[in-house]
Amino acid sequence: MSENVTRRGVLKTLAGIVGGIMAMPAARTCKAAVQNGLASSHAPPGYDPFQHKWLMALDVDRCIGCGMCVEACCQENSVPEGHWRTWIERYVITKPKPGSGETRGDTVVDSPEGGRKGFGAELVPKEDILKSFFVPKLCNLCEHSPCTQVCPVGATFEAPDGAVLVDKNYCIGCGFCVQACPYGCRFFNPETHTADKCNLCYHRITKGLKPACVEICPSQARIFGDLKNPVPDDPLQKFIASNKVEALKKFLGTGPRVAYAGLDEEVR
Amino acid sequence: MSRLFKLPPQLIRLVLLTIGIVCFYFTARYFLTPPSFGQYGHYRGNAMQEIAARQPLWAGKASCLECHAAHAQKLAKGEHKNLSCETCHGPGRIHVENPAAKLPKLDVSLCVRCHQESPSRPKWLHQINVHNHYTGSVCTECHVPHQPNEVP
Repeated sequence: MSENVTRRGVLKTLAGIVGGIMAMPAARTCKAAVQNGLASSHAPPGYDPFQHKWLMALDVDRCIGCGMCVEACCQENSVPEGHWRTWIERYVITKPKPGSGETRGDTVVDSPEGGRKGFGAELVPKEDILKSFFVPKLCNLCEHSPCTQVCPVGATFEAPDGAVLVDKNYCIGCGFCVQACPYGCRFFNPETHTADKCNLCYHRITKGLKPACVEICPSQARIFGDLKNPVPDDPLQKFIASNKVEALKKFLGTGPRVAYAGLDEEVR
Repeated sequence: MSRLFKLPPQLIRLVLLTIGIVCFYFTARYFLTPPSFGQYGHYRGNAMQEIAARQPLWAGKASCLECHAAHAQKLAKGEHKNLSCETCHGPGRIHVENPAAKLPKLDVSLCVRCHQESPSRPKWLHQINVHNHYTGSVCTECHVPHQPNEVP
């Protein structure tokens, strides 16, 4: 070490290094700000994710269990065999045992192939059935989604328009999110080796179309709309206004947004 | 330098190494993070555009009505008025882009898929038991799919 080294000199050098390190994120921020200024949004041309808030509602009393929505979804999104982005569950509640003093017997739930090919005969003899109904399931579009919180790389996120999306080019396929979803709405796609889920047919809704399942549903059991831009005589607004709606597993605090009408207490 | 701070040299080396690692981390992070990451939140802003870029398979009822308005008028009078054309006819974007590409013929399984009797189905839906409703195999002998209330 030369005698010319002074405390002030060393401190200056250190300050320079620290300043350089600090400057890099600042440069990034400036770069991003300039990018934002040049192109106000990276979303599809003409589509501003901040101007929309999508929501799906489901009318359990309207679902006839034909499974056309599952078929439409699987075709639209090339969902691999044995996996579903949306599926239908059939709930069969049996009659209580005579003299048991119960309101209901057992609950039998089945969903053969997610309901994609429709449903066969009930697993319970017809005379033992107290009531039975179909419940369509899909991503619940949580406000505090546990699946996005556990992602270690930021490959899944709640878009500003309410859709919960998976960035499959950034996903490392660790599968944490598949375990985190309390609704079982995510699966591991064996073809892309990434997490996969219902994204509300994001490529359709950004082009002004309805999600494939909503388009295809023959009985209007699925209602879709934009909360920020209600159309005249909006079916979603009408549905919320004229039904008592509920969401699934609200007690978990995930803030599920998908609205269900006609839910039974057995539905989880 | 050791005289200057009265620190042992191994400690000085440790400090320099730490600074080096931190510098390397920030440099690597700067070059490896995608440009649109953090634009809206802890994700790539470009991902939304990429997800939205895919082409839809189901064209939507509005596309069908551009050419088949007469069918739509007929449909609007019957019980099937709220059905999308593609519910029965299948995905239609290929046909919209190239009208020569015909959609597949339909068969009885489609009718039965919705109208087969089941205790799970809601009571408002017209349901039949295929085994005793009709012994033939063609529903359209008695029913008009576009106007189910009509008799052909």
